[in-house]
Amino acid sequence: MTESAVVGAEITNWIEAGKPAPTAEVVAGVAIEALRQAGLRPADLDAIISTTSAMPFGHPTFLTTPAQHMGHRLAGKIGSNGLQVINVSGACASAAAAFSIADSMIKSGKARKVLVVGYDNSPRGFYFSFNSYLDTDMAIGYPLKVVGAVNPTYWAMWARRRAYEMGKPVEDIKEVMAIIKEELSKNGALNPHARYKKVFTAKEVLESPVVDDPLHLYMISAVSSGAGAVLLSDMDTAKRLTNKPVKVAASAVGGPLYNEPSPRLTYFTTAGGRRATKPFYEWRKPIEDAYRQAGITAEDVDFAEVHDTSLYHVINWIDQIMGWEREETDKLIRSRQFGRDGRFPVNLSGGTTSFGEAVYAQALMEVYEVFRQLRGEAGERQVRKNAKIGLATAYGAYGSYGAIALERAW
Amino acid sequence: MSQVQKNVVPIVEGLFTWPSDHPRLIGSRCPVCGSVQFPKSSVCNNPECDHSRSPEEVLLSEEGTLYSFDIHAYDLREPFEYHKAPYAIGAVELPEGITILARLTTTKGLRIGMKLRMKVDKLYEDAENIYMTYYFEPVEGGESR
Ligand SMILES: [Zn+2]
Repeated sequence: MTESAVVGAEITNWIEAGKPAPTAEVVAGVAIEALRQAGLRPADLDAIISTTSAMPFGHPTFLTTPAQHMGHRLAGKIGSNGLQVINVSGACASAAAAFSIADSMIKSGKARKVLVVGYDNSPRGFYFSFNSYLDTDMAIGYPLKVVGAVNPTYWAMWARRRAYEMGKPVEDIKEVMAIIKEELSKNGALNPHARYKKVFTAKEVLESPVVDDPLHLYMISAVSSGAGAVLLSDMDTAKRLTNKPVKVAASAVGGPLYNEPSPRLTYFTTAGGRRATKPFYEWRKPIEDAYRQAGITAEDVDFAEVHDTSLYHVINWIDQIMGWEREETDKLIRSRQFGRDGRFPVNLSGGTTSFGEAVYAQALMEVYEVFRQLRGEAGERQVRKNAKIGLATAYGAYGSYGAIALERAW
Repeated sequence: MSQVQKNVVPIVEGLFTWPSDHPRLIGSRCPVCGSVQFPKSSVCNNPECDHSRSPEEVLLSEEGTLYSFDIHAYDLREPFEYHKAPYAIGAVELPEGITILARLTTTKGLRIGMKLRMKVDKLYEDAENIYMTYYFEPVEGGESR
């Protein structure tokens, strides 16, 4: 099987969401820059995989907007000799899915050079804001209409449940999340692409208003606008294009698991079957799949960029990635061993908490960071240890998830 | 001018029996594999099921156990502004093996593991209708399992 590699990556600065923007211009900007890094022209591409969301504000039929066809629009805009174009979506894991398709196309020999683009510019708080968004099968939107459940409702319930299962008061997990925010905001302050560069102290986090108890305002991420482009090629080509090729060791994606015991975003209920013994099976599965694809174990992972729409997500990802018992995760966080010279660095980019979430582009932001860190190009936020393997993860609504492992190949 | 009698209607049709003196949640159960769903579905959600028969409508248990909860602290935007903060949302484990989301009747004294009972009550009203929804309410003296 052909190996695939990342040979170029670019992201915009993440900015406040909901400002009208020339979407194709923004996407073309990062696309051309990723190509330029590898010394390639649009004519050299075999495929574009696109995942974008940019809604006409207040318009009920946003699902059929031109954003859905951004791959084709981009191909037209930068010039194309009829390359393969695929537009995909998968909630917060959209860009992980797009990346995985590109990786699979290269590994199967269907393409040798593939550009992945992600873009998001959605109105603030758009989730389920429209009555017309209510789906007839009552899965989507109805938990908001009937029980007033928003996305942080689910995250709050997961966090509270974890504290309960550990036999700890809920204040304990609040403290852990506040420490995470303090450390990640320090990383974000060093990242020119991050939207928020202010350092938040743990005390400030705990003093911010409670929004969905136990989550305080500074424990959940804002909604942002941003775009990313990642260029992949087969490994032979990669070695000709760059002396620092980064191998795609794994790209795993997936959908809902029937026996997941935790309430899943946008649903009223868990499934009615035999339960997995531990919750968050849907988070562990992409990690296990990625480890298997890459032929690695937790010990081989040097650092991770994890999807943190709430700071509870960081805790959960460390639980799943390192396979530790939960006490070990909390110990790592409380001893602040997840910074750039720590035992297991997490979100050196600053994470979603420092960027805000540009849903469809978010996993490309993570891949960008892992790529830069592995190549030693992360500037002030460069990981201290000699990192060989980095992981990027995503988890979102409808039971959408993904994990990507990148490995230094020189 | 005489007061117009308002209609008392469910917030969403098909979630619970209505009108009824003793409303119950409506789910479905697969006669092949036993998988239970809420809201009811015409298709079984168990990937191991052979789908030789379709799910049948069932009334769900009225008592459950609190799996976890959120106390939501701010008002929602239109058109969902009728959910007035603060309010609690629970994930309630039913004996059928599903965990369902529900508004809880109180934000006070909630504990994971406590017993709860379903009731249908008013959510809000407008000029024409009174909208009803299902809630779960702590059972007096109901202790954790
Ligand atoms: Zn079945």
